[in-house]
Amino acid sequence: MNKSSEKTKSTVTIDTSGYEVATQEIRSEAKRLLTEKIVDAVVGYQGGRRGGSAVPVVITDPDQAEKLVFSAACVNNLSIYLTKAKKEIRAKGKLAVVAKGCDLRALAGLMGESQFKREEVVIIGVTCAGVHRAGTQPGQPLTDSTIAKKCRECSVHIPEGSDLIVGKLPPLPNLSPTEKELMEKLDAMTPALRWEFWKEQFTRCIRCLACRQVCPFCYCEQCLCDRGRPQAVDTSPRPSGNMGWHIVRAMHLAGRCAGCAECERVCPMDIPLNLLNRKMAEELKELYHYEAGLKPVEKGPLTSYDEKDDQSFIK
Amino acid sequence: MSRIGVFICHCGENISRTVDVEQVAQAARQMVGVAYACDYKYMCSDPGQTLLKKAVAEQRLEGIVVAACSPRMHEKTFRNAAQGAGLNPFLCEMANIREHCSWVHDDRAEATAKATDIVRMLVERVRKNKKLIPITVPVTKRALVIGGGIAGIQAALDIADCGHQVVLVEREPSIGGHMAMLSETFPTLDCSQCIMTPRMVDVVNHPNIILHTYSEIESVDGYIGNFSITIKKKARSVDMAKCTGCGVCMEKCPQKKIPNEFDKNLGFRPAIYVPFPQAVPNTPVIDREHCTKFINGKCGVCQKVCGPGAVDYEQQDQLVVEQVGAIVVATGFKLYDIGEKPKGSAIKGYGEFGHGKIPDVIDGLTFERLASASGPTGGKIVRPSDGKEPKQVVFVQCVGSRAREKGISYCSKVCCMYTAKHTMLYKHKVHDGQAYVFFMDARTPGKSYDEFWRRAIEEEEAVYIRGMVSRVYQKGEKVVVMGSDIAVGVQVEIEADLVVLATAIQPRDGADTLAQKLGISYDKYHFYSEAHAKLRPVECATAGIYLAGACQGPKDIPETVAQASAAAAKVMTLFSKDKLEREPIVARVNEKYCVGCFACKKVCAYGAVEEKEIRDRQGNLIRVVAYVNPGVCSGCGTCQATCPSKSVELDGYTDEQVMAMLETL
Repeated sequence: MNKSSEKTKSTVTIDTSGYEVATQEIRSEAKRLLTEKIVDAVVGYQGGRRGGSAVPVVITDPDQAEKLVFSAACVNNLSIYLTKAKKEIRAKGKLAVVAKGCDLRALAGLMGESQFKREEVVIIGVTCAGVHRAGTQPGQPLTDSTIAKKCRECSVHIPEGSDLIVGKLPPLPNLSPTEKELMEKLDAMTPALRWEFWKEQFTRCIRCLACRQVCPFCYCEQCLCDRGRPQAVDTSPRPSGNMGWHIVRAMHLAGRCAGCAECERVCPMDIPLNLLNRKMAEELKELYHYEAGLKPVEKGPLTSYDEKDDQSFIK
Repeated sequence: MSRIGVFICHCGENISRTVDVEQVAQAARQMVGVAYACDYKYMCSDPGQTLLKKAVAEQRLEGIVVAACSPRMHEKTFRNAAQGAGLNPFLCEMANIREHCSWVHDDRAEATAKATDIVRMLVERVRKNKKLIPITVPVTKRALVIGGGIAGIQAALDIADCGHQVVLVEREPSIGGHMAMLSETFPTLDCSQCIMTPRMVDVVNHPNIILHTYSEIESVDGYIGNFSITIKKKARSVDMAKCTGCGVCMEKCPQKKIPNEFDKNLGFRPAIYVPFPQAVPNTPVIDREHCTKFINGKCGVCQKVCGPGAVDYEQQDQLVVEQVGAIVVATGFKLYDIGEKPKGSAIKGYGEFGHGKIPDVIDGLTFERLASASGPTGGKIVRPSDGKEPKQVVFVQCVGSRAREKGISYCSKVCCMYTAKHTMLYKHKVHDGQAYVFFMDARTPGKSYDEFWRRAIEEEEAVYIRGMVSRVYQKGEKVVVMGSDIAVGVQVEIEADLVVLATAIQPRDGADTLAQKLGISYDKYHFYSEAHAKLRPVECATAGIYLAGACQGPKDIPETVAQASAAAAKVMTLFSKDKLEREPIVARVNEKYCVGCFACKKVCAYGAVEEKEIRDRQGNLIRVVAYVNPGVCSGCGTCQATCPSKSVELDGYTDEQVMAMLETL
């Protein structure tokens, strides 16, 4: 995917000097939180084996704080480590987590779903100009052609509502909204053509379930789609089961997904999964004027009843 | 291998006319798990049930499918029969081949095939059925009655006489409701207050009735047999324990010119007042909106003159919690105020009738106050504008009611009768006066009702004009009523001295909010809905809540009293047992897989889902999971549909069962 942006070899480079500042501030804050025993562990990023790459890390020792970094390679949504599914991390005690604006929206959603309480977590928010798209070689500068699709249309550069906001925002270039353009293209299709499009996409799915493993909202102890008796979805990577899985996934994320697009990033078959999530989010906005992840919400529109809800579908 | 018996009913000819029942029985015998199948003309009859019981014993059956009518009709019948035969009743299921098949299809071959498929699905379901044990919950033998009009009073007295405590909550400072405002009642013309006030006194003197007046329902928690009600007692500003009801405060209150709501604003009352002399309780209340002490702090006369020192300006609203097992809702009605179009409502108003603008255009309740001996004129019928005796009075029926184009399509039921009564009361007081009535039809079904209406025309000389009124306007001292007489086919104009509009009956304001607190349903007009229009007319669909009086729909006094006693009987039936048995069709959480997102808790309309802590042996909290309280769960299955990981299942309707039913097709 993303062929259009590859073709236009652009020279627009985004200033990421703020990430150096952020790294320093994250380190000192992590050190302080651990030394003062405000938290028992900090979930953040550290440099990977290949220069310029980054991987998630959980540190419990103040001396390890120097390991922490923030760069354009810090693509992962760390909120996944706070769900009840990650028992070993939750067992460490009170946690601090490094969060970009997009990750923070997932944290807000998880709080609304009783996964943790606000006072149980210290959120270190990072001002973020964007991160690399999947497949970018480590160490590359952040440019029009290496930036992730979601970052092109980001509206949450500054993670408002964090306990501490680190880094600073550089002047941002105007990038073309490639995902929005694709959405519009799909919306313009006839239902039959759109169905063909998705059928084609899902035939590629190998059911590695990376999209599920990386999703902050897929924290069920046992996934409905893994159940055998009764079996809701065929578990082998065949067209009917693939279609079933992706529809279940999209439906289960409706009103919850805040668009971190991790599913799409990790998909080895390059299926544009975030399009589905985004479409559901648009429907929610249109029908219920609701946007997921803006703040922790006790009852979302799909778990509450209001007399004023749209009922035009009842015929 | 299960041994299931399939019993196919002809339902006389209702099923066998379109479904080949023998063929269905034959097909059933081939189904996996079926040990026995037969058909019979009336399976629900005594011989039919005997056949079933005999087959269970002889064939050693372990499950039963009765292919007949809707489970709503006879599920209970056959489950009882199964129990009689020694089976767990929940191993018996109905396959609905009547409503779902024979009644809606013509083609015999296709209907037979469909009936076979329905039986096949139910056999699969029964194969995976489990024995279920009914759930028992304790019953708190105290009742809550909401509303102290004649409906609430009747229900409260009946329940209290049966020996159970009743909590009666009334919004106004006194009980009595609308009936206390009426002058005389149809069809006997006996004085309303004379029959009403003794009942009010019975309430206050009854050892089993706890009366909360000037109070409202704040919140309702719990379920049938175990409700917890929070009641807001509004600050009366008078200590009920100290007040002797001597009335000196009311005499001395300098603020005397406040329109009296009880007299439909025709008379005046002081700021510290009882709504009417026979009020129960006879304890005044301070109207803080109009009291000088509360407006600018400069009076305090009532406190000075009060001998027992009962006046308390500092009194605050108070919350009281009462535990009850059943609730009777009797919140009554209001009269349609037609002067203005209500905001945001589909109801259009009657600006053309000048109600609220022309002083001599009044509604039926105002006329009741004018005619009442205890009313503002002492029972003398006079015009509100100049106090003169009206010599020509025009009554207009169906104002608001039966006017689809104006937003209300129902009939208010009592107006035909009370208008006939009004013409008589008028004639009895103004012998040389003439009453005219514009009407669409006269609806007089009821004991002695039609005779009463005929008497108004034939003996009391009321002139009935069949036709509608188009406009009412002031012309000098007169009020001109323009209308049509469709019997003659002409337009008529009457120069009247007084016009009385029989306006529609509507539910009380806030009826919808109360319904939401109680979790009961209401129609588009906000009248409360009964569980079944014919067979369960006083029960709500929500267990343990019953309806009485006009809050459910327009009603006259005898009907209201009858319904109130019926509601009381339902409450007493509930209270006749110490424990309540409930169907065990309830949701159950798989605690191993529940991840505690509590989506189920959010969607549960009954508040049945709780948070349960799972601890290890040392008492350390491991995790929090959902728990369904079986006493509260109504088995709707919403949680099951909502749970993302399907960690909650409805007994009797498990995913496994539903999937097996689908897969067998």
